[in-house]
Parts: sequence; structure tokens; C-alpha cells
Amino acid sequence: MAGTGTGSGTTATVAATPTGGERWKRVLSTLGSLQGYVGLALVLILGIATKGDVFLSQANITNAVGAFASRGILAVGETLVILAAGIDLSVGSMLGLASLVSALLLVNADMPPWVILPVCTVAGAAMGFCNGAGATWLRIQPFVMTLATLSVFRGLDRQISNNVSVGTQVAGPTGKLSEHADQFQLFGTPGHNLFTGVLGAGVYYPVLAFVITCVVFQLILSKTTFGRHIYAVGGNETAARLSGINVDRVKIGVFTICGLLAGFAGPIDAAYSASADPLAGSGYELDVIAAVVIGGAALAGGRGSIVGTFVGVLILTLLDNVLGLNAVSDNLQLIIKGLIVVVAVVLQRPDLISSFAAFLRRTFGRTTASAPSGQTTGSKS
Amino acid sequence: MIRTNLGRLAVAAAALVAMAGCASTAGGPAPAQTGANGKKQFVVGYSQSNNAEPYRAQLNLQLQYFVKQYPDLKLLPITDAHQDSGTQVSQVQQFIQQKVNALIVSPNEAAPLTAAVQQACDAKIPVVILDRTVNTQCYSSFIGGDNYQAGLKAGQLAAQLLPNGGNVVELQGILSNQPQIDRDKGFNDGIKANPKIKVIQKREAKWLKEDATRVMNQWLAQGLKIDLVYGENDPMALGAYLAASSANKQKAIKFIGTDGLAIPDGGIRAVQLGQLNGTFIYPTGAKEAADAVEALVNGKTVNKKQTLDIEPVTPANAQQLYQKYDFSNKK
Repeated sequence: MAGTGTGSGTTATVAATPTGGERWKRVLSTLGSLQGYVGLALVLILGIATKGDVFLSQANITNAVGAFASRGILAVGETLVILAAGIDLSVGSMLGLASLVSALLLVNADMPPWVILPVCTVAGAAMGFCNGAGATWLRIQPFVMTLATLSVFRGLDRQISNNVSVGTQVAGPTGKLSEHADQFQLFGTPGHNLFTGVLGAGVYYPVLAFVITCVVFQLILSKTTFGRHIYAVGGNETAARLSGINVDRVKIGVFTICGLLAGFAGPIDAAYSASADPLAGSGYELDVIAAVVIGGAALAGGRGSIVGTFVGVLILTLLDNVLGLNAVSDNLQLIIKGLIVVVAVVLQRPDLISSFAAFLRRTFGRTTASAPSGQTTGSKS
Repeated sequence: MIRTNLGRLAVAAAALVAMAGCASTAGGPAPAQTGANGKKQFVVGYSQSNNAEPYRAQLNLQLQYFVKQYPDLKLLPITDAHQDSGTQVSQVQQFIQQKVNALIVSPNEAAPLTAAVQQACDAKIPVVILDRTVNTQCYSSFIGGDNYQAGLKAGQLAAQLLPNGGNVVELQGILSNQPQIDRDKGFNDGIKANPKIKVIQKREAKWLKEDATRVMNQWLAQGLKIDLVYGENDPMALGAYLAASSANKQKAIKFIGTDGLAIPDGGIRAVQLGQLNGTFIYPTGAKEAADAVEALVNGKTVNKKQTLDIEPVTPANAQQLYQKYDFSNKK
């Protein structure tokens, strides 16, 4: 939202004489573009007010963000796909399969972590490429294609694992622990921090991986031709095609990157719980899409940014942490998270609120002047 | 155009009616089929609620092994309902269509499976219900562990491990699951043996290690003084152990789980490694089910209800129990 494609809803109205409705619209769209930061600030205030020192402690923040980091990395990939007006429902299954493969490579093949990570990343990219190929060459809608692969990848995961979780820190059937088991834990077990001493208690690898992923892909989006092409394809595919952009290549590219990041997040997820569960990652796609939407990306494509998604992930993460620290019941947590998604989406659509304002004016009989403009903008988004 | 479509519809409908007609004749006890070696073989179908749970994967493995011990039994490929009751109903009905000689069902939920079990009963197929109940008496035998007992014994162990009392936290499975409800109730009755023990927090971790790690981290961040963690299954207890060990507090806290699977990542191994102070083997009932089926197809009667004992796993007996229940190499 703070990034490149924001404010497309406002550009049309700036030139017009500001009536009451227009002013409202402008205030709301500003609020909409800031919603992430406002939301994050609210969560931080809530945390500090209720659990003060505990909430802000380095250990707590590290643990909280670390628990969601693998979902955060998925959210970066999902953002690219959504920016190009697609959607990827298979991210959770891809992560699950990659986490299982990483654990098997560690336990059965005795591979060191610096080999496992690239292998899983490449495997993830291959899975993502399948999604992209289906969505472009076979012209299957991304929703349907990735719904299908959600099932395929989960099935493979369950088949290979025999439905039994693979422990990464437990002596295997042979009775001995992999010699690389401890190094593998650096990927994600809380407490195994990097750069200790240099940065106080150090950085927790998943947090580091998530932040670096965000920085890299924000730069790719804002500084490269490929990044601009993603926005162009998501904004208006036909226009992008006519202006000479290879739309298929862009689409396959974003799906491949999305898979690549899921493959990268797999070992992190396995290390976090020191095991690869056959069910790992199920349901992640919903958290991930929620984070992207809270971060201000439009599901119709063309609008959003990695910075926004980063803030969206932080909101979900810290909210979970604040509610957990205050022992709020899980049922209530689900309701609160759902409502936040609704608020985030409504704030992105100033037209909704301005047409509501127009409706109020009509009903209470003042002026009907701004009603049509509210409707035109409404049909646009 | 409309006419041809209507025609097709009529043909399809007629075919459907014909098939339904055949289906309704599928009653009566099925005759034993002749096996490859010329001897009579009884066909057994097994409907599993969800293969993806390690406990159920282990159950499948054990059942295949124990059925194989009876040469006159032939187990069809186990069907997996993927935790979906509708799928499971149709899979049970398919077994009835195939006129199996006996049926084993691990219901996903009681209510939806009741009618399907009733259908099998009407078709005179003996049914063994494994682990979870159905709401009809029209079956041959129910075999299962007692989740209340499992919780109760865990509670009693907690009371023993904390003779001077202390603070207990509880990690719960999915709140609406019957095993969760029973284990929770049993545990809370079990710790009453020592009135100085208090359950200071309980939260849902959905049977998952990952969720348990996250919740335990939050508890530790709150600065709660925790003396013992009860995980209603082993993965949750181990997730809590992982969180505690990264905060270097694992020595000060005791951990109890339940399930006791003999797999590398399971509870028995964790007791051997000193990660869990104890766990309880929640029996699969695979051997008892195979025995019951063998008796039933040969016209014998079996006990209508078999409740299996909950076996405690201690550091002293863990190694021996692992060997006893490890089916990974048994053929």
C-alpha cells in the first residue's frame, strides 16, 4: 500500500471540485493507504498497554515473529501472484512437501543443511512452475489450477511420509542421530540464534530469512522491469499484452517464485517443530492470503506491495501474540482476526463508504449531487 | 437439442434405477471366496477415518500385520476417508456392495456413520467398530481404548511427579473432539489426588506440535511459573518441550504426553531420551480387531464391548515397549 501501485481509486477524483462526498472519499482513501500502519500501531499499543515489558522483550518478539516467519515468506510469494491478478492456494501444500523432503534428506540421506536448503528451493520452484504452466499454457484459472495442486502436493507429502511425521532431532530407525541434526536446527528452533553477541541476543534465523526475503522482493518489484511488468499484467492484462509485455512469461515467473519461496520456507518450518508432520502447512494459504489482503493488496491485481504484506504479516503475528499473552480464548481470536480482514478490505474501498454517505444524504434529503460519482467509482473496483 | 438432452437424461435415469435395483438385492451373508491356494478365504474391508494421523497410520500397519497371521482372511486395500464423514459413509457402502465377509470401521464421527453401519448390519455383514462409537447397537463388537482412563492416569502421574504441588499447564487437542473432552476430564480428575496442584492455563493446540510450541513460548514469555506440562498427545507435549528447551527451562519442568507410538518421532522414544517424564500407550486395538474378525467369519461370537488397557510408559520400560510395538520391520 505504501508502495508503487496505490491510490488508483483517488486519481480520478482529484481534478473534480471537492464536494462533501469527494472530501470523505479522499480522507478515507488516505486512511486506506495507511491502514496497515494504523493497524500495526493499534496492535502495538494494545500489546504495550496490556502486557508492557513482556510483550516488548526481544525473546517474545523473536519467538512471535519466528512462529509466523515461514508463513511470512509464503506471503511474499503470494503477493507477487496476487499483484499479477492470480492466486495461489497450493502454498501450504508446497511448504508441507518441502518440509518433509528436507527432513528426509537430513535423516535418510545425511545431507548437510546447506545442501538441503537449495535442493528444497529448487524443488519448490519446480512445483510453482507447474502451477504457472497450468495457469498459462493450459489456460486453467489459477484458482482451479492451484486448488488441484493443493491436493496433489498434499497427497504426495502423505504418500512419501507414510503419514508418519519425520523427526529431525530424533534418532531414526537406525538408532543414530544425523550428524547434521544440530546444524539443521539453526534454521528454525527458537533459541538457536545467529550473530549472538554482535546483536545482543542475536537474530533468529526465520526472522532474518523473512526480512531479507521482503527486502529482496520489494527491490525487485520497485526497481526492475520484471517488477513493473507484474503490476502492468495485474492492472490490465490486455493493455500489457498490447504494449509488448510477454504476459505468459510474467505469470509463469510469479508462480515459479511463489513455489520457490514455499520450498525455501519448508526446511524452516521443519526445523521450527523439529519434525516434518504430514499435515504441516495445511490451512496456511488462508493465513497467507489474509496477510496479503490486510497489507492492502487488491485481489483483482495491480495494487499492493511487499512492504504492505510485511506489515500485514506483522499485524497477524503480533495480534496472535498479544491475544495469547492475555489468554484470550481461541474462538474469540478467530472472530477478531476475521473482522480485521473485513475492516481492511472495506478501508481499501472508499467508494463503498462514499456511496453509503450519498445514500444517507439522499435519505435525509440534503443534496443528491455526488451520488453518481460514487457509483462510477464503485463499478470500477 | 432439448429433446436429445432429455433423451439422454431418461437413459441415464433408467440406468441409475437399474443400478439401484441391483444394489437393493445385495443382502444376505456373502459366501466365502476361494483364494489362490484353493482354500476358502474371507474378505475383510477396513474403513479408516484419516490416514494422515500417525496414530492411525500405525493402526493400519498393525492391522495389516495381524490380519496376515490368519491365512483364511484377506484384507482389501484400506480406504481413507480423509477426516470426512460423507466420504467414509460412501466407502462403507462400497464395501457392502462388494459383499465383504466382515467389516471393520473406525468412524470419523458417530452420527453420520450410524446409518452406514446399520446398512451393513441389515446386509448381515458382521461389523467391528474400532476406537470411536456409533449410535446403534447393531454391530458385532466394539473395541477401543478409554480416553478418560488415559487422562486419569496422566493426572495421577502428574500428582505423583509433583508431591509438593505446583502449577500445571494443559495443551488441548481440537476442543470439539471426543478424545480431547475425555482426556481433559480424566486428567482433571486424576490430579485431584493432590490438592496442591493447580491447572493455571489450558489452551487448544489442535493436536499439533507446531501450535504447541507457539503457545508454550507465549506462556514462558508471560513469566508463568510452570512445573508440569500435560499434552493431550505426544506431539503437543514434545512441542512444549522444544519451546522450554530453547529457553533453557526444560530441566525445571516436567512433561507428560499420551499416545505412546513406537515410531522414531513418537512418545516412547521421547521417554527413552528423557524428553518426556511419561506417556501412555493408547492401544490401537489392531490385534483384537483381527482376532474378532477371525472369530466372527467362522460363526463364533465375540464380546460386544472390549475396552483395552492403557499402558504407562516409564523410563524403565520404554525400551522394551518400543521393541514390542515397533511394526516397521514386521512383515
